[in-house]
Amino acid sequence: MPPIRDKFTIHSKAVVCQDVELKGDITIGSGTIVHPKATIFAIAGPIVIGAGCIIEESAIIVNRRKEVMRIGDDNLFEIQCRVESPSVGNCNTVSTRARVHHTVRISSYCVIGAGCLVVPAEDEVLDEFTVVYGPEAARRAWSGRGKVQEADLRRKHAEYLRETLPKFNRVRRGDGHG
Amino acid sequence: MAPSIDYHCPCLASSPAPPPPHLPSSSYSFHPLHELFFCEECDAVRCNRCVSVEVSGYYCPNCLFEVPSASVRAEKNRCARNCFMCPNCRNTLSVVPSDPPDMDDGRGSTAALNAVGEPPFFLYCNHCRWDSAEVDITFEKPTGLAAQLQKHEDSAPDSLEFERLKEHFEPFLRASSSSALAGPTPASHSHHAHVNPITAAASSALARDIPGVAKYAPHPRGRRDKGPRDEMSEYRSRVEVGGTSAMGEADVDFMRRIEEESEVAAVEQRWANSWATSLRTSDLKPLRIPLHSKKSKRCPTCRHILIKPEQKAQSVRFKIKLVAANYLPSMTVALPRPLDIVRRGARPPADDPSGTPGLHAGSTYPFQIALTNPLYDPIQVRLSVQRQIPPAVSAAAAAAATEGGATEKSRRPPFAVSLPSSAFPIAAFAEAWEYEDDEDMFGVDGDEFGLESRDGRETQGKAKSKTVGVLEKRANVTIVGGEVVIGKDARGEVKFNMLVSYTYRSDDALPEDEVRGTPSRTSKAPEMKTFSFSTAVNLGPVVPREENRMDTD
Ligand SMILES: [Zn+2]
Ligand SMILES: [Zn+2]
Ligand SMILES: [Zn+2]
Ligand SMILES: [Zn+2]
Repeated sequence: MPPIRDKFTIHSKAVVCQDVELKGDITIGSGTIVHPKATIFAIAGPIVIGAGCIIEESAIIVNRRKEVMRIGDDNLFEIQCRVESPSVGNCNTVSTRARVHHTVRISSYCVIGAGCLVVPAEDEVLDEFTVVYGPEAARRAWSGRGKVQEADLRRKHAEYLRETLPKFNRVRRGDGHG
Repeated sequence: MAPSIDYHCPCLASSPAPPPPHLPSSSYSFHPLHELFFCEECDAVRCNRCVSVEVSGYYCPNCLFEVPSASVRAEKNRCARNCFMCPNCRNTLSVVPSDPPDMDDGRGSTAALNAVGEPPFFLYCNHCRWDSAEVDITFEKPTGLAAQLQKHEDSAPDSLEFERLKEHFEPFLRASSSSALAGPTPASHSHHAHVNPITAAASSALARDIPGVAKYAPHPRGRRDKGPRDEMSEYRSRVEVGGTSAMGEADVDFMRRIEEESEVAAVEQRWANSWATSLRTSDLKPLRIPLHSKKSKRCPTCRHILIKPEQKAQSVRFKIKLVAANYLPSMTVALPRPLDIVRRGARPPADDPSGTPGLHAGSTYPFQIALTNPLYDPIQVRLSVQRQIPPAVSAAAAAAATEGGATEKSRRPPFAVSLPSSAFPIAAFAEAWEYEDDEDMFGVDGDEFGLESRDGRETQGKAKSKTVGVLEKRANVTIVGGEVVIGKDARGEVKFNMLVSYTYRSDDALPEDEVRGTPSRTSKAPEMKTFSFSTAVNLGPVVPREENRMDTD
């Protein structure tokens, strides 16, 4: 395997803290927040993160595959979660300490509960509105009621962080447009 | 399992002797120290089985509202404020408004989300995302939800039946309470007392014919009930239950047709309900959160309060707290890791690759008991193994149990235990800062204490290091060593009763003087008192001989 070439493309409206581990070919979209101590590893293929995502402290996002790992918009990756999914849609929440294996593709409006392990041996796509919760990582389908309010809350959350984080952290600028 | 010591509560039994710890039923008599109380009045240990419990207040564990007892009844033991439990995952639910209409694309304009929110409101679980709209429960206003839900609960057939039953018994209850007031106070509840109307009513109700249930035929003991049984009319239920009800058949039918196990509500999802509910997951309703109570406990003999919480729900303190841990020395037992004291034949080292705990039959093991003194005065402690027969006569001398249990009954694992035979001191409890000065006191050699025991005991093995006796003293902790010899054919667990006697300076003593320092082996000075209690020591399971390498001796 050739050595990993770093190439970071960070949108001017994204907030990526200085103290973040980035490796490989990474694109971060508008308004996305990457907290300090987060890790994004594009080991094989590149990672493209959309707009309005929040990646919290000690969250780990890894792409082990050759293909591009695409993460959509408005996703929340909470503290210490680990996501290796080859693709993630929009408006998903991966809660604290949850782990999602590279065999799982996440569609949209999914919730992986705190501490849940989603590590199937076979490839799998989580349907929209799938909720994984509890110690047994039980699954159910969310009715979707309240999704507008949740999206609104997510936007406010990101907005607040965009204002606050740069006041207390050094922020990294992309190679491209700054 | 780690070795353990549990404390005996005689629970008002006539004999103070503890039950043999290898009997399964004995587990009810032995308790961890932190669960026990101590009645100063009776000078006795009390446990949760023998204390009398009274509720000193009800509160909601979610909103911490203290609920007056009158409301507890009316509100059926559940919170009547906005506290609800997710029927799916038992998280708390929140009341949320609906999403604004005509916004299919949730990521569109951020515009019109007003602060009040759109009706209808519903209950929403932040954890599993269950919501009450799934079961068609929505609300026009975000207030008074509990009352609406309770109306629904109260219309359950079981609830109505219960109300009817209460109504039926009401006159009898009233009659009984008035007669109880009139009569002499029943201090001793004798079973031969006049039949109480409630009992009579209940027994008559229970004696009713129930289809499919064999009729209970009481012994013809010839005693005629002179109670008011005759005055009572027969209760007629609203719905005839028993036999095969329609409900039962519907359930069977449903169970036959299930395709996924998630269609059936789990027991945990149903048993927080007040009444029997449907088996279907799709029928689960939000639950008002059940109230919790704070309880006071009283000594069963003298009625003094042993523990009483503070009234406020937010407070985790107690107004009165007489716990045994403040009176009795706390003890922990441990088997030291390096098994270098092996008697017959060297144990093959391959036997314990990972140092797995295990007491091998035919071996000897040292064990250590650490005793911590909770009192502000030093104490003298004496330990002895208790046999089946209370060793009242030989309390001082009994240093060892039976040697090689062949003579004992076969059900008892044959092992012999040695404990330090003489009394040993434990220093007083002091606040942490007081210890700093006695640094040099630490590690006092215990040679002057408890060594007599070794003279007779430790014949074989020619002790390389001291095992039986006082091993270490620091602050208010004294560690003593004991030894267990496990017979060749032993199996089961190494459990034995240990009598602990400690001598302390009584509070109602005269001046404190110097008496405390001297071991009170001789006749007790008047201001010294001795308290004894029994414990069950469990050193763990014996690894039977067959599983070992066969090494002969
Ligand atoms: Zn008791
Ligand atoms: Zn409440
Ligand atoms: Zn839930
Ligand atoms: Zn008492």
